[in-house]
Amino acid sequence: MIKMLLLSSDNLKAYYVLSEGTVRAVNGVSMEIDHEVIYGLIGESGCGKSTLANVLMMRIIPPLKFMGGSLLLNGVDLFKASDEYLRTRVWGKMVSMIPQSALSALNPTERVRDLIKYVLKTHNKELTDTEITEIARKRFEELNLPTDALNFYPHELSGGMRQRVTIAISTLLNPDLLIVDEPTSALDVSTQKVVLKLLKRLRDSKIVESILFVTHDIAVLRQIADQIAVMYAGKIVEMGQMEQVMQDPKHPYTKALVNSVLTPEPEIRKRGLTYIPGEPPDLSNPPPGCKFHPRCQHASEVCRAEEPTLRALGNGRYSACFLNESTTEV
Amino acid sequence: MLEVKDLTKVYYSGFFKRTTIVAADNVSFKVGEGEIVSLVGESGSGKTTVAKIILRILPPTSESSKVFFEGKDVWMPKTLKELKWYWRNVHAIFQDPFASFNSIYRVVRALQQAFNLWEDLDGDRDRMIAEALKQVGLSPAEVLGKYPHELSGGQRQRIMIARCLMIRPKLVIADEPVSMVDASTRAEILKLFMEMRDQYRTSLIFITHDLGLAYYVSDRILVMYKGTIIEEGSPGEVMESPKHSYTKNLIKSVPLLLRKWTDI
Amino acid sequence: MLKIKRFDIGITILMLIVLLGIIGPMLRNVDPFDFGNLRDMPPSWQHPLGTDSLGRDLLAQLMYGIKTSLYVGLIAAIIAVVIGVVLGGISGYKRGLADESLMSVTNIGLLLPSILLMVMIAAYLKVRSPLMVAVIIGVTSWPGMARGIRAQTLSLAEREHVYLSIMSAYRASRVLFEDILANMAAYIFTSFIIHMSGAMLAEAGLSLIGAGPTMGTSLGLILFWAQTMYAISRGLWLWFIPPGAILVALASSLFIVASSLDEYFNPRLRSK
Repeated sequence: MIKMLLLSSDNLKAYYVLSEGTVRAVNGVSMEIDHEVIYGLIGESGCGKSTLANVLMMRIIPPLKFMGGSLLLNGVDLFKASDEYLRTRVWGKMVSMIPQSALSALNPTERVRDLIKYVLKTHNKELTDTEITEIARKRFEELNLPTDALNFYPHELSGGMRQRVTIAISTLLNPDLLIVDEPTSALDVSTQKVVLKLLKRLRDSKIVESILFVTHDIAVLRQIADQIAVMYAGKIVEMGQMEQVMQDPKHPYTKALVNSVLTPEPEIRKRGLTYIPGEPPDLSNPPPGCKFHPRCQHASEVCRAEEPTLRALGNGRYSACFLNESTTEV
Repeated sequence: MLEVKDLTKVYYSGFFKRTTIVAADNVSFKVGEGEIVSLVGESGSGKTTVAKIILRILPPTSESSKVFFEGKDVWMPKTLKELKWYWRNVHAIFQDPFASFNSIYRVVRALQQAFNLWEDLDGDRDRMIAEALKQVGLSPAEVLGKYPHELSGGQRQRIMIARCLMIRPKLVIADEPVSMVDASTRAEILKLFMEMRDQYRTSLIFITHDLGLAYYVSDRILVMYKGTIIEEGSPGEVMESPKHSYTKNLIKSVPLLLRKWTDI
Repeated sequence: MLKIKRFDIGITILMLIVLLGIIGPMLRNVDPFDFGNLRDMPPSWQHPLGTDSLGRDLLAQLMYGIKTSLYVGLIAAIIAVVIGVVLGGISGYKRGLADESLMSVTNIGLLLPSILLMVMIAAYLKVRSPLMVAVIIGVTSWPGMARGIRAQTLSLAEREHVYLSIMSAYRASRVLFEDILANMAAYIFTSFIIHMSGAMLAEAGLSLIGAGPTMGTSLGLILFWAQTMYAISRGLWLWFIPPGAILVALASSLFIVASSLDEYFNPRLRSK
């Protein structure tokens, strides 16, 4: 029996409907996240990745509007679920998210242990205070967090510690899918590694099944992600195993993105830096055809006229580029 | 060309119970002509403080702190003429492309301001501005009449570089010039900096927390931690044989593209 | 459909009231301090709002009261803003000892209940003109203004565009003006409007407890007399409702204007 995927979406669309125009932030996203996977979603600012993260979490707040497609989490069609279902069965339990700028997400008027108490009590009213303290301590120890932190107020903790505590609290109910949006961008490099370690530990010790890691930083994903999807202008343009996509990118945007990253490695220094001319497109008024064509050095007539679809290239690889046309459409 | 000696900056706060924060602690280094030096450090390391002292924006705390530019003591009381000379030769590009502009004026003000550094400037000012903008890949028409919020971060940073190209200083201090800019535009902006060095022999002090960036552009790397320089050397030396434990830890924590962490 | 903005509503109400107070008396030459009319008269052609229990024409009182309240508000706000900008600006830009000593003073100023202070000063001066009341209010409200200005100055002084202006060899005064005060202009202006609104309400409060001006009349004083003469229990609606309503309308319209002006001043907030 084939185990069903943790998350699968088909042609997911969500637009911001504004008076000055419609921003097509999520414009037909089909992706699959399996179990026990750390899945990276990479893209630059304005590509729609944060919006996608919110949509996958079913956090659809106007002016964002669901425009079509399907989203299955553990086989459950989330867009057909009632608000009640989302509130009691989905949020925190099936999927949990740590949004950007989560450093200020913790209620500053409560100590950490009280925040934990609130989460646990809402889930199970029967729990006594002693049981809650025990659960909190055990979880913190499991995640290599100092149990002293439980007694502090959020603002008394350092940025890195706060981020780790936020992650711990968000995963108290062992969600199947944890979505993190730029969890380390505001942190120093040394603290970043500690947080990444924590995330990996969450998956390895099966506290969470899979993690969706949204970021603009390819090097970070290289270290932690198993699979990766590259997003541009509201669409996924490439998907596959992390190693493969890094070493042999198929989409011109992925290629250019990988070559625009600098790490302190002699080979990278020798490779030099390439830049992608132009700017990411305005999502309320995108160019016709392939959204990347104005900046692509391989653009041809068909790229200007038609939009390429995400096609399977075999071996779990997908790419949305006319240059890769050869196999079956997704 | 630039020599910095024992730069110290201490902040005192509190009326009765005085607390001290040592932002910079006896920092000393030199920068030669046409050299690109990176000042690497994480937040709070004191690197921006050092920059502000060199740029004559923030005064050092102690008498023994000295900044020498072409042999002259920068902080000795200066006449307006001498100050203008200094800032014609030493200028800066800052991190935040938005805060670098005064949002109530049009962006062209940032360029026109620079003309104040000359006593009498002959030549068509508008033409000079247009030339500088073209050099950084911006068309004057698309940029000049606009307000800062109407342009992207990348465009704004390029205007700042255009300002430097017009002034053509001998030393440019760039404080995290690309950290708030998209990855795809980053490369182009870095290219402009390298061109400044290659074409005009401009020296650059690159201030960054990004070790990868420092490794790529620098002739020399200085690592700062808690207000002091704890490591100095060529990029190769610093990466391959770091001496200080902080540097070693920093190198271990930087995510790499070609090598995977084994301890995570 | 006409796109009526918040600003339009606010400014219209404000202008109508101001016109009533300034142009009104010119068009209708009735002495608000003429005690010779019949008392407690209902509205009539001669007295559109009737008369009060002391025989004064209520409409004339109202118009004169508006003028005085506006006057007190304006003067108090000017005093508070000027002192606040000067002291707050110096404090924020120069830092050091000047900053620390000023902050101690403002701390004390902010802690003291200003109403108490105002009442004490008012009680000490037996005879009080509207100008004196305005001064009292202004002098007790500058600490709040100074704090706000200082905070703005502190954050603005660290902005990179200030550094760039310094490095363009601008004189300190030019930097202060172009890069700090200019960016605060909106803040100063809206603070001014809000202080004016607050001052008018403060004057009304003082007058209501008998600590207001001892000459002339203001919206607060009209209410004072209405209250003293039990206008509410006697059902003399036209005595206390118009001044109260106008006071509220003045304060609110000023707030509306202040907040919508913020959008105008800051190009970033303008909806495209």
